[in-house]
Amino acid sequence: MATLSACLMLSAGAAAQTAPKPEPVSASATASPETDPTVPHAKPGVYSESKQSATRFRVTVKGQTFTARDAMEKYLLYRAAMLALEQRSPWFTLVEGRSPGDTAPLPQADPSGYHYSFRMAYWRPVWRYKLAGSAAWSTWSPFSGAAFFADGKDPKTVSRYEVSADIVMQKGRMDDRNPLAFEPRAVSEFLVNQVNPPE
Amino acid sequence: MSTLKFVLASPLAVVMIAALPQPASAAPWARGYVVSTYGFAFHYGAKPSAAPTDPGTDCPKGSAQHFSDEVHMRKALEQQPWRSKLEIENILRPPEIDKARLPTYVRFYIWGRAVSYRGWKKGIETYINPFAAPDPGQPQVTGKISDGFNLDGNVQTGGFVNRDGERGIDNALYRAWGCDAPFRGPATATLDLRQNVQMQEGLYTVVIRVSGNKDPMNDDNATVEIGYSPDKIVKDAQGNVASDYSYRIVKSEQYTKLKAKIKNGVVETEQVGQLHVPRTGWFPRQMGDANFRQGRFSLKIAADGKASGFVGGYRDWRDLYIENTFAQTGAEQGIRDYEDAVAMYYALQRNADGLPDPKTGQKFGISMAYRISAVPARVIDPVKPAQVRRPEEDNRRQKAFENLRVTVLKALSTKIVQPVPPGTGEGQFPAMERTIADLPSKDFFLKTLDAPFRMEEVDVHGNPLEKPAPERQVNNNPPAAIVATSKP
Repeated sequence: MATLSACLMLSAGAAAQTAPKPEPVSASATASPETDPTVPHAKPGVYSESKQSATRFRVTVKGQTFTARDAMEKYLLYRAAMLALEQRSPWFTLVEGRSPGDTAPLPQADPSGYHYSFRMAYWRPVWRYKLAGSAAWSTWSPFSGAAFFADGKDPKTVSRYEVSADIVMQKGRMDDRNPLAFEPRAVSEFLVNQVNPPE
Repeated sequence: MSTLKFVLASPLAVVMIAALPQPASAAPWARGYVVSTYGFAFHYGAKPSAAPTDPGTDCPKGSAQHFSDEVHMRKALEQQPWRSKLEIENILRPPEIDKARLPTYVRFYIWGRAVSYRGWKKGIETYINPFAAPDPGQPQVTGKISDGFNLDGNVQTGGFVNRDGERGIDNALYRAWGCDAPFRGPATATLDLRQNVQMQEGLYTVVIRVSGNKDPMNDDNATVEIGYSPDKIVKDAQGNVASDYSYRIVKSEQYTKLKAKIKNGVVETEQVGQLHVPRTGWFPRQMGDANFRQGRFSLKIAADGKASGFVGGYRDWRDLYIENTFAQTGAEQGIRDYEDAVAMYYALQRNADGLPDPKTGQKFGISMAYRISAVPARVIDPVKPAQVRRPEEDNRRQKAFENLRVTVLKALSTKIVQPVPPGTGEGQFPAMERTIADLPSKDFFLKTLDAPFRMEEVDVHGNPLEKPAPERQVNNNPPAAIVATSKP
């Protein structure tokens, strides 16, 4: 819907709306710098964030060398979590970028009543990309029902891509039954040893 | 019995007699108690005889059922994208298990090994490094009634009301762990039952002494002492904790003296920065100081002389995680008691509500309370100061536990994945290797499942073997210095 459209329009007005952010050096502020796991600095322009409202932010990761969908999406989530920590938000929610006609089922709270600090399966940002030799952007939404690169195109031929998500900073006690809720400290600690900025 | 005789025959008898309940008067008085039941102050919201899976006002979906059957086990294993379908199926139903001598144990230890490694990549032991596994989810308390204290003095926080109608009760541990199967329900809470049995059988003893100068039922300047006794609990012929026996109190550790007010038999203490009392447990290596921060104590004295109450405050949730998870091994307790320590780790962190780090704001404290019931006893100060009992035979396990504690704290503070300390049994090593020795399909598991060590690297306790010193070449030439001095 509107969110997906907004995400897809991002690159046109990106220069005006977004500011590249320096990479946080460490996910764990409680340990000494010599021993912390570190996530390397991203090159300029790889990561950006823009404020959409008082509590809503759009986070975007851009790259030219596609490696794996999972790696890019995890890096984006890591940066979203670091942003939430910066904002001193105890939790944040993903705003799903759904469009009319999307067929992916809506996420549900765990039917067995379990509560979560985060659910990786529901971190679903939207994609757009250019293939080598093509000037046109293509889009892919995880909510469309289509598999990633199910159109027969080879992801190795991707020459540029953008992954983006809108998140809303939340206050108070985390709604830990909300499948789109993420606790930023838990997320960042889970991902700090896994992610690297894309090229 | 012998304890009582000893005390009556000693000069302390005078002190004891003075400590007997006295009629209301403006004179010094003291009342002692020995704690007969002790455990997390979790309010149970279903019928006392209900099954663990039965819902209640506390847990609308019943208790946690982690690893309780193949459905739940499959759910846990499918969280690791690096496991093959064959691996998952073989773990769930080890091939030819019926040919093993101890099929139940074979499955128990294979499941235990598997759930010990649930990291984002192979090779990470996730009870030591719980942050490296995705959150498995935990049922939490959604009811509004809880025992405990309003620790922060704010009725808007905490979210619970106690049974007297007091609002703002802070008991976040109950919210986080109150639906955990081994701590929920008077008939089915295996670990709650176990810790009480162990305490009553002599693992540890908690004593309370209340004293003052006015009326024992109404005194606005009373004193409460709570602490450890090295004297084992005495039970009567029916197995109940017996009244009126004498117990020494240790004052050097696990001990706190508090100012208190008593009104109509209800004792309420001041709130203190640190409140030291014995913590609950069911194995010697778990035992020690609870060290509540912003701690409080309350006790209601009943007409029959017995008492009930609470002691609580904020505890470092990392200590709670370690003490519970590594009582044996994370997997042992998990598979046996349907408990997932990784889920409980995330629930602790998510519900933490105190002791914020001044730099990061991260909260390392969680509000909680122990529920106490107690019977009258003589609590005495021995001539020679009493000490906490630490039997020699517990030393090896205590050392292993301390190694685990240090390792886990390092992992949690740095987020650098730590290896399994040797000799701890964690990861179900070498228990799995030994148990599946006669399983025809053992080679599959030995090759496929992660292990902290290889069998040929360790001794019978799982400790690394000392490597033999390398053989050395012998130099038969005389030392250079001697050669030099022998020259003319």
